[in-house]
Amino acid sequence: MFSWFKSITPSASDGLGKMTSEFGHMLDAGRHCFDVAANALLGGTDPEVIRKDLFSTDQSINEAEQNIRRHLVVHVSVHGAASLPACLVLMTVVKDAERIGDYAKNVFDLTPRASAISTASAAHSDLVELKDEVSAALAKTRKAFDSQSEDEARALVRQMNAMEDRCDQRIEEILAGEAEHSAPATLVLAYRYFKRVVSHAMNITTSIFMPLDKIDYFDEKPRPDIT
Amino acid sequence: MQSATHLSTKPFKAGNRGTNPWLRALLVMALLYLFLVGITALSSTLKSMGASEAEGMIQAIRNPFAALSVGILATVLVQSSSVTTSLIVAAAFQTAQTGVDLEDAIEPFIPMVMGANIGTTVTCTLAALGHVTRDVEFERAFGGATMHDFFNLITVAILLPVELATGFLRSSAVWLVQTLQLGDGMKFDSPVKNAVKEGYKAIEFLVKDVLGISGTFLHGTMIAVGIGLIFLCLVFITKNMRSLMATRFERIMNRTLQKSGVVGMLIGMLITAAVQSSSITTSILIPMFGAGLLSHANGLPIMLGANMGTTITALLAAVATGPAGLAIAFVHLIFNLTGILILYPIERVRMIPIRLSEGLARATVASKWWLLLFMGGTFVGIPLLGIILFG
Repeated sequence: MFSWFKSITPSASDGLGKMTSEFGHMLDAGRHCFDVAANALLGGTDPEVIRKDLFSTDQSINEAEQNIRRHLVVHVSVHGAASLPACLVLMTVVKDAERIGDYAKNVFDLTPRASAISTASAAHSDLVELKDEVSAALAKTRKAFDSQSEDEARALVRQMNAMEDRCDQRIEEILAGEAEHSAPATLVLAYRYFKRVVSHAMNITTSIFMPLDKIDYFDEKPRPDIT
Repeated sequence: MQSATHLSTKPFKAGNRGTNPWLRALLVMALLYLFLVGITALSSTLKSMGASEAEGMIQAIRNPFAALSVGILATVLVQSSSVTTSLIVAAAFQTAQTGVDLEDAIEPFIPMVMGANIGTTVTCTLAALGHVTRDVEFERAFGGATMHDFFNLITVAILLPVELATGFLRSSAVWLVQTLQLGDGMKFDSPVKNAVKEGYKAIEFLVKDVLGISGTFLHGTMIAVGIGLIFLCLVFITKNMRSLMATRFERIMNRTLQKSGVVGMLIGMLITAAVQSSSITTSILIPMFGAGLLSHANGLPIMLGANMGTTITALLAAVATGPAGLAIAFVHLIFNLTGILILYPIERVRMIPIRLSEGLARATVASKWWLLLFMGGTFVGIPLLGIILFG
């Protein structure tokens, strides 16, 4: 009797709690994809060694996205509109989490040209540093989403904004030919993909404190509340 | 200014669901008790009205098509077959008190039970209208909703003539009551029945002695109180059980989406028995049909399970009445079970209501007149015509 009754009381393993938890796993998987792909590009890991891992992890992200969407429809059908805002947020950010996996694969696609980026170059060092920052930001995104801490989220958005600016600046420098690069196209694409990974993580982070209709559009207007 | 209050962070935290489940469970128990008091108030008042009034009521629904029409219209109006069948149980109990044979007592009410089955599908069909602005989504949702309509219409089209010709349902139900000796069992002084009687006496005291109502007005008031209690209690039982069971339903539905057959049927039956409303179960499915998450073939068994699960209300109501009430509750159960046994096991037969509903959905997308024709005809026009012509 008591176990039956316990089973009908809400817990983290049910409904939105379960979907949020699955979303957290998506973020972890996205970070894993990014790490292995960026290591293959910059760290010299043999791409063939990680290919299977990367693609199967990305596949699990895609499946999780579909699973969450399915569960969201069931959740709203059963519970009604009470948790609709949270469901809509999840429906939105789940796409961002899936895109992180896709951009990680784009980074991986650059590995055949990885040898063209000299490991002794400043650009290589900068990308390695940026890779570590992006990876850390992805971990913080997961943490902020779990805690739903507005302060953590706002601080993280500031960091990620800086990372995006840095990527734009590097791309601009390369395109302007301010310095000699052995593989400028590869570098531009790498910076671009890193920036996209950060952007999608930032979308997820802003969903914690932005109004639902403003998610994804936070960078189009000056934000007096984020300094 | 972008405010953090726009999006509460609370929805992402599990365990934030308002009222304590234990309180809800206690509330449901209290509502169940009041529901039985309502049934007793209604059946006892009808009993005290005498044979002539009973005969008058029976005459009004003596024609099976009129009774079927009354069942459809009454259920459409209250949007709950549970309310209609509970009222039928109370009325059948009263008829049996006039000294007629048990089979004869329940006979006029059987088409009404069938009508209630048809009428109850209006809620999920109405729910499908929420998707009307998006054609593809609407076609899936409306096809899913009307699949239930067609299944019940076909079942009635088969079983009503069979019942009129053979009396199969009433004799099976009476045989069941007698074989299980439940009719006699109803007569013993169970604590529940005694407690329900005390509740009824309290209401009678309130109406008769405190409010000073007597004579014909007393009957009218007690009937109104009985019907009111039955209706309100079922509404609030459904509401509370839905809240109480929502988390479990969600878990079950997530596991059921890709399954079909007996599992889906059991799920539909359990959910409906728990919330005492087939409309809740079937309406939950509509957005899933619309979103394309649930195929019509996988949704049908859940709806048929809902047909079975909804019979629990009449069986509960029978607790407060006697053999006739129980017999009519069994009629409801046997009718739905027979419908499933006829239409479900063979795939080609099973696909008939699905094909019909999908055809109607396609036609409705092409022209919304079909929507008006189907809903207006099935739930209002034909039943009204039935009452006018045969009533």
